[in-house]
Parts: sequence; structure tokens; C-alpha cells
Amino acid sequence: MFVYQLRLAFKSLRRNPVLSALMVVAIGLGIAVSTASVTIYYIYSGNPIPHKSDVLFHVELDNWHPDKPFDSDHPERAPFQLTYRDATAIMQSDVPTYQTAAFRGEFIVFPDDDQQRPFREHIRMCFGDFFKMFDVPFQYGNGWDEAADLAPESVIVIGSEMNQKLFGGVNSVGRSLKIEDRYFTIIGVLAPWRPTPKYYDPTGDPFGKPEGIFMPFNFTPVLEVFSSGNTWGWTSESINNHEGYLQSEMLWIQMWVQLDSATQKQAYQDYLDAYVLEQKSLGRFARPLNNRLLNVMTTLEEYEVVPDSTKSQLVVSLLFLVVCAINLIGILLGKFLSRAPEIGVRRALGASRSSVFIQHVLECEVIGVLGGGLGLAISVLVLNLINRMLSTGEHLHLDLTMVGAGLLLSLVAGLIAGIYPSWRICHVAPAVHLKMQ
Amino acid sequence: MIKMQEIRKIYRTEHVETHALESFDLEVKPGEFISIMGPSGSGKTTLLNLIGLLDSFDNGSYVLDGEDVTKLSDRQMSRIRNLKIGFIFQTFNLIPDLNVFDNIDVPLRYRGMPARERRTAIEEALATVGLASRMKHLPTQLSGGQQQRVAVARAIVGRPKLILADEPTGNLDTAMANDIMDLLEKVNESGTTLVMVTHDPDLARRASRQIHLLDGSLIDLKTQDSHIPLINAEPAALANADC
Repeated sequence: MFVYQLRLAFKSLRRNPVLSALMVVAIGLGIAVSTASVTIYYIYSGNPIPHKSDVLFHVELDNWHPDKPFDSDHPERAPFQLTYRDATAIMQSDVPTYQTAAFRGEFIVFPDDDQQRPFREHIRMCFGDFFKMFDVPFQYGNGWDEAADLAPESVIVIGSEMNQKLFGGVNSVGRSLKIEDRYFTIIGVLAPWRPTPKYYDPTGDPFGKPEGIFMPFNFTPVLEVFSSGNTWGWTSESINNHEGYLQSEMLWIQMWVQLDSATQKQAYQDYLDAYVLEQKSLGRFARPLNNRLLNVMTTLEEYEVVPDSTKSQLVVSLLFLVVCAINLIGILLGKFLSRAPEIGVRRALGASRSSVFIQHVLECEVIGVLGGGLGLAISVLVLNLINRMLSTGEHLHLDLTMVGAGLLLSLVAGLIAGIYPSWRICHVAPAVHLKMQ
Repeated sequence: MIKMQEIRKIYRTEHVETHALESFDLEVKPGEFISIMGPSGSGKTTLLNLIGLLDSFDNGSYVLDGEDVTKLSDRQMSRIRNLKIGFIFQTFNLIPDLNVFDNIDVPLRYRGMPARERRTAIEEALATVGLASRMKHLPTQLSGGQQQRVAVARAIVGRPKLILADEPTGNLDTAMANDIMDLLEKVNESGTTLVMVTHDPDLARRASRQIHLLDGSLIDLKTQDSHIPLINAEPAALANADC
């Protein structure tokens, strides 16, 4: 019966191809807009590391203005970043499974190839644990160990795009790369890696690409690296040199730890509290004790990684789809009621109300699915266009989940458009129309 | 086959009530061929719709083929229409964008019959009405008489016990009308009960029993000699008290 009703649906659509095309396009536009918006929202708000997001914690210490909270709208929140002094101090803890202080710096890279000109590149200054705790995938080699952190050793890890750019994508482990005035040995090349959002540092562009080069954090004083990311401060300080920068109350370091159990988390919380209490005795941390450990998703939420405009856009686009569907109600109602005599015949020949209802809902769902297909094709074009405009590569794309969501939306739209006209046509009195044919 | 008692049917609009049928009794025996006559507005089609479970009545009881159908759900009534009743209409009521085969297929589809059985039944029905060669034609490619033959094939394809024909020859010339009547008589002779509404007294006389309706009441009843034995010889039992 389902196949028969499906056949009837297609036959009905072929009866008036222009009207059918108009309805498919209407649904298609609604699906295109809403699928593109849902995709953007989905990518913005997704869990970038679902299997570990509950054991990775962003560390916050409330070292802000004594009289003002860091965020006056959310006074319970602490600053998102740490001072260099605090970050390097709490890196001494042996409680976390993995831990890293990190920030983004900027260097001039001198390619070996004479054909290539030196270029500026963002470099992530971090500890070796960075690669383990964030499950960073390697194509060649590995990250560095604790000894390399402590020394620090002149080693680096480069991203896959950087490897492509500098070495044509071949295994470059063991090769040297001149950064500023120093040569570094490449010990690892990442496989393509694009955490979305870039949760380990959402302070800048949370949807930007990861840095192309990763360097041991302890080169910060050696190379006198300044942050090229956000730097916050609450007090007026006279900073005359890099050492002054490192010892200042400026906040520019992100700190992450992996704590695998509640006990471990509590132990680390105690460690932080003890550290801050000690600092209070030295005259720092004037605000009430407020050391926070935020897991990945809470961090992204508090950083407001998903802009409010994206949420509004999502709601508006879904409403647009609903409006498209509602506009179809009138067209479908007219179309179905014009077919009342045929329905009268079918009812006389044994079609029940429910059978007539299903037949017409199915027709609406066919319109919905055809519109969905069209809408998904348009949304691919729209997302490609956005990617080009924002130069984000293929960052925004439809995956299987989004295709499924698009088709689900099209079915819902078909149902919204079709349920009332189908209900009306299945309730027409057959006797009235049998004489009218 | 049909036993209606004290049937009342009222059409209501905002200001007017029209009594289409009033305290109406009717009994039709299995295998009978009855014709219903009467002027326009006398309630002929209303009666046919009630018999065919296409409309509801306000009062009374109705037993069809031994089953009380007075208060059935829509699904149950649809099932009975599909299994027990065949309809033939004045304007043929073929679905215009379905070919002959698919038009006849409609009642069998709602019966959920397997494809092979449907094809056999449709071919037999088309052979009965003499249109086996027109299977793939659209209704618009057929004459009026042929269209009505298709409608007859559609009515008989499911082997119903009852066929309701509402002025089946009303849109046909005399020759075609006689052809259709011959066909209907043939169907009736095979044991199918036939109830036919007509304005034509000559055609009405071909029925084994004639009913005359006026203003929603049965006013006359005549029984012809027929292949239906005995049961038709009891007009008093069939007459409405108001007759």
C-alpha cells in the first residue's frame, strides 16, 4: 500500500509540474537557509573532544582587580588566562595526569629552500603534554618529552600544512628549521588536525586554524617571546623589558590540566587553593578565593564561543522554514480540495479516511524530501561561499549528521505544510462529490 | 441483503432542515434487482448513499448482509464498502489520469490483494465487459459507453454482493444504455444484488422490483416476474407504513 500511495503522490505532482516545482523550491529555500544555519551552529557548538571533554580542565585563578570582578555580568567568573608567574608556578604540581601552560607567539621562519621567502608564523608555545592531553594526531614522529621541556631543547613539531609548505609533505622529521636566529630540529609532523572550536585557546579566533609550529614553552624567556594573542591587565604597570613582562600581573597564558578522577580533581583544587593562599600572604590575589577548574564544554560556554548572533540566526532560519511551510498550506489545501471528487470515488471504493490522509501526507512528504534535496544542494553552495569569504578552507561543511538533520527538517516541513490540508481532504463527505464529477 | 428500518435522514443548514428520508423501511433480498424511481429531490440518491454507507442517517437501523452497520467506525464502513459493495455512477467517475487497468485496480488496492491476483481479477472483469483490449487506455480515450463499461468492471472486480448504480445510463444514448443494462442484468443473474436509481421507466421495468420515492417516502412498489423466487412476492413486508 505504501508503494501504491507513493506512486499516487508522484503522479499527483506530475499532474501540475509548475505548481509542484514551486512548492519544492519553497521548501528547498527554507531547508537551505536552515540547514546552513544549523550547520554553522552545530560546528560552533559541538564538542571538539567528546571522549575526554570531562577530564580536561581549563584552570582559572582570580587574580583580578581587588574591587571589580573580571566579568561584571558574571561576577562568579575568574579571568580566563593566567600570569606567566602563576602559570609556571602551578606547572610544578605533580597532581595532574597531563598539564600544559600555553600561549600563541609569533616568529619569523626562514625556510631552507632559497626559493621561499621568510614569513611570519604563529607558534604555539606549550609543554610536551599538550600533544598527549589533546590527542593531537601525528603523521610522522612524536612530540617532545619532559627533558626537552626542562632544558629546553631546540625541537619543534610542525603541522601538516606547514610540512606541505616547507617540505612538500614528505617526512621532515630530523630536518632543521631556522626560526628567528636559531635552528630547531623537527621531531614531529602532525596529521591534518582541525579542532573545532579551537578549544585549547578560544580567546582569539576560536574557529581559526591551529598554529603551524609548536615549540617548548620554556623558550619563552630565552627567545623573549611576547604573546600574539589576547593579553589582559587590571592594573597599571611599568614594563620595561621582557623580564618585566614575565613578572607582571598581565594575563596571557592559558593553562590546561587532565584530571582523570574526582579525587585527582579535588587534590588539584586543593593545590591551587594552597598556592593562591600563599600568594595572598605575599600581597597578591586580593579578591576572594576563586580558583576554578572548567571542563571543555563549560569553558566554551563561558567563553561564549558560540556568538549570540549565531543563535539568533539559527532561530530566525528555522522560523523562515516554518513560514515557507505555512505558505504551502494554502497552496496544498487548494490543490487537495480540487481533487475532492476523486477522493469521493476512492472513498466509495473502500479507501478509509486514514488511508486518504496518509496518501496526502505522503505527497507532502515527497515535496518535503525533494525540497530537502534541493535545499541541501543549495546549502552546500552557501557553506562553500562562506568558507571562501572567510578563507576557512572546508571548515564549514555538511557531514552525514547535517544531511540527516536537513532531511529530518524537510520531513517536518512537509508535515507542517501537509497535515491540515490532508486532514481537510480526508474529511470531505464522499457523497457530496460523487454527483459532481 | 438490505434491511433498513425507521430510517430518517435530515439535511441541515443554518436556517433550514430538509427531511430527505422519513421513517423509511426497506428490505432487499439477496440476488434481487430493484430499481428506484422518483422525481428529482425525492431522496433517491440519498437512499443509495445510505445503502452504500457513504452517508450517515439520523435515526433508524440498517443491517447489511446480516451485519448491523448502524454504528460502525469509518474504517469498518470503508472495509464493508470495499468488500461487499460496488458502485456505478451516472458520470462514470473514472479517475482521469489512471488508465483502464489502474482504475479497475483501485478497489483491489484498498483490499490489499497480491499483485498477481489483482491482475487476474482485472483481466476477468475486463473480459466480462468486453474491454480486454483497452487495458492501457486512459478514460479520455474511450467513448461514454466504454467508460461506463470500465465503471461496471471496477464495480464487479472485487466480486461484491451488492451493486449500487446511480442512473448508470443517464449519460448514454439508448443503444449504449441497453448494452449497459444487459451487462447489469448479466451481473445480477450471477447472484449479485443490484439496486439501481433511474429516471427511465423502461429501464426500471427491467428490474425485478420497482420502488417509487416521493418526498423521502416509499409510495409504490411493484414486483415483476423474476428469477428471484418467492421472496419478492412479499411486497407488504417491504412497504413503508406511510405508503
